[in-house]
Amino acid sequence: MDRLLSRLAGAVLTLSLPATPAVADYGGFDASADLLAVSSNGTPSFLDNGLGDLRFDSSHQGLQVDNLRFGYRTSVADIVHFDVEAVSYADRQSNPIDLTEAFAEIRPFPSGPWRSRIKLGAFYAPISLENRLQGWRSAYSLSPSAINTWVGEELRTFGAEYELDWLGRQRGHDWEFGIGGSLYGWNEAAGQLMAERGWAIHDRQATLFGKIGQPNSETIVDERLLTSEGDGNVGYYVNATARYLDALELRALHYDNRADTSQYSASDNQFPWRTQFDSAGLRWTPTRYWTVISQWLSGRTCVGDEDEQYCWHFDSEFLLLSWQLGANRVSGRYDRFEMHQSSPDDETGDYTNRGHGWMLSYQRDINRHLSVALEFLQIDSSFNGRLEIGQPAVASERELELAARLQL
Amino acid sequence: MRIHFKQRPGRCPTAVSLWLLAACAPSYAAELNVSVLDPAGHGSAGIVLLAEPQFDLPVKRVSRTVIMDQRQKQFVPNILVIQTGTGVDFPNSDQIEHQVYSFSPAKTFQLSLYAGHKYPPIVFDRAGLVVIGCNIHDQMIGYIYITDSPYFARSDDAGKWAVHDLPPGNYRITAWHPRMQEPAATPLQMPVSVAEGTPASAVFHLTKPLRPSREDGADKRWTDY
Repeated sequence: MDRLLSRLAGAVLTLSLPATPAVADYGGFDASADLLAVSSNGTPSFLDNGLGDLRFDSSHQGLQVDNLRFGYRTSVADIVHFDVEAVSYADRQSNPIDLTEAFAEIRPFPSGPWRSRIKLGAFYAPISLENRLQGWRSAYSLSPSAINTWVGEELRTFGAEYELDWLGRQRGHDWEFGIGGSLYGWNEAAGQLMAERGWAIHDRQATLFGKIGQPNSETIVDERLLTSEGDGNVGYYVNATARYLDALELRALHYDNRADTSQYSASDNQFPWRTQFDSAGLRWTPTRYWTVISQWLSGRTCVGDEDEQYCWHFDSEFLLLSWQLGANRVSGRYDRFEMHQSSPDDETGDYTNRGHGWMLSYQRDINRHLSVALEFLQIDSSFNGRLEIGQPAVASERELELAARLQL
Repeated sequence: MRIHFKQRPGRCPTAVSLWLLAACAPSYAAELNVSVLDPAGHGSAGIVLLAEPQFDLPVKRVSRTVIMDQRQKQFVPNILVIQTGTGVDFPNSDQIEHQVYSFSPAKTFQLSLYAGHKYPPIVFDRAGLVVIGCNIHDQMIGYIYITDSPYFARSDDAGKWAVHDLPPGNYRITAWHPRMQEPAATPLQMPVSVAEGTPASAVFHLTKPLRPSREDGADKRWTDY
C-alpha cells in the first residue's frame, strides 16, 4: 500500500506540473498516468521468472499506479523535430524511469507532391497500426495485439530511417504512397525472448536502457539489454505504405537484423540472434463509426554457428473491430499465434508455442484529462517450455483491468 | 469570362449572398436557381457553386478576409469558396502546433510551426483550386476554391442556391466538391442563359453520392507512428 501511495503521489505531482499543451504533438511536454485495478489468474510472466502470456498474474492483482508516461517534443529551425518518450512502470523495472524512444526527425516543407523525411535515433519501425497514441500506446485497448506486444518487447530501431511520401491528395488524387528504409544496429538480442518464451499480450514496452529477463535465469529468459551489439553488422528494413483518403491504410515491411550468429560475445555471454520477418497490415475505416485493423507477421530467429544452429519460426495475425460513438469506444480483437523450433536434431525437444487470445474493451473519454477503460483479456496457449519450471504446458489465462488514465 | 476589376459608381444593392456583401455592384433583376441532387433525388449540401458570366462584367475588387480555422486536427471549414483577392486567415485553435502549407499552382505558401493567431491573412490572388495541408498532420486537408466571379456559394441543406440580382446574360455554372465521385471530369459545368423577368435554373444530377466523410469520427489524439 505504501508503494501504491508513493506512486500515486508521484503521479499527482507529475500531472500537476505546469506544462504547455494538453496533448503535445509538437512543442511541449505531456504526461499521463494510469490507475489500474487488475484481476488476473495468469501464471507468472517472463518479468517474474515465469512463462505466462500476460503481464499480470495472480500474485500481481489489485490497485496500482502504472504507466507514468512523459513525452517532450520540440522543434529547431522549423523542420527538425525532437521527440523523447519516457515511462515508469509499477512493477519489475530495472530503472525507475527510462526512455522508450528518443529521436530527431527532419521533415522539410513539401514543395511538390514528393516529400522526404529522415529519422535519427531510437524509435519504432512502422509496423503497428494499433499503437497510435503518444508513447506508442494502442488507441483501441490497454494491451495491444501479440504482434505489437512483441514489437514493443524486442524491437527498436537504433539508427536512421528514410521515408519518401507521395502526397497525392494535395494533387487531387485519392491515394497517397510512401516507401522507406532503415539502417540500424544494437539489436542483436531481438528474437531471443520470442524463442525463450513465445508470444505474449501485454502493454509493457522494453526501455532503451533497461534489461529484459531475469539475472541467472537458466531455463527461462536470460537477462540482457535491449541494445545488444557485438558483430558490427548493420541491419535493415524496407517498408511501403498506401493510404486511400481517410478510409484505408496499408503497410508492409521486411526486416532483417543481419546478425552474425557465429560471433559469440564472451563479455556478456551473448550470441547474436539473426531475426528476419515480414509484416503486413491494414486499417480500414468503412464509416465514421467503425475501424477494422488486421496485421500479419511471420519470420524466424536463429542462434548458433553453422555447425549447430537453432532457429525458431514465429507467426501471428489478429483482427480488431472497433466502434466509436462520441466519447465511447468498444473494441474486440482476436489474436492467433504460433512459434516452433527447428533444430539440427531433436535434443531440445518440442518447444512449440501455439495459442489464441480474445480481447474486449470499453473506453470512455470523460474529459480532456481523464478517460476510463475496462478490458477483458483471455489467452489460451500451450508451450512445453513451461514444464521445465513446473507449470502445465497448457494454460488458459484471463485478465480483467479497470483503468483510469489521467492525461496532462 | 470577362470580368473587369474596377471601381464603378453606383449604389450598393442588396447582396446576392453573404459572400457578396463586400462586392458593391449595380442592381439587377435576373434570377438564377441552382440545385444539386444526389442519385436518390435528394439535395446535396455543401457543394461549391459558381456562376461565371460569359460577358464583360465590371466588378469591384474585394478586400475582405475569411477564416479557415484549425480545430481538432482539422481545417474548419475544410472547404472555402472565395473571390479572387480575398484574404484567408489561418488561426490555430488547437492546443498543438500546426505547419500549414500549399504547393498548389494557384497559391504556394508556408506557415512555420505555430499555435494561436500568429500570421496575417494569406491573400489568394489567382483563380483556381488550392489544397491546404499541415506538414505535421498529413490527414489535415483543406480546399480553397478561388473564382474571379462575384457569384458563388455552397449549396444549402436542400442542395440549393438562389441568386436574385444577377446581370442578364450567359453564364457557366460550376459545381464541385472534393468528395464527388462522378465518372465525368469534375468540376461539373453547364451553360445557362439568364434573362430579366424569367427565372433561370440549373440542375446538377449526381450519378454517385458523395464519398462519406470519416473525419468527424476520428480520434484527434492519434498521431503518426
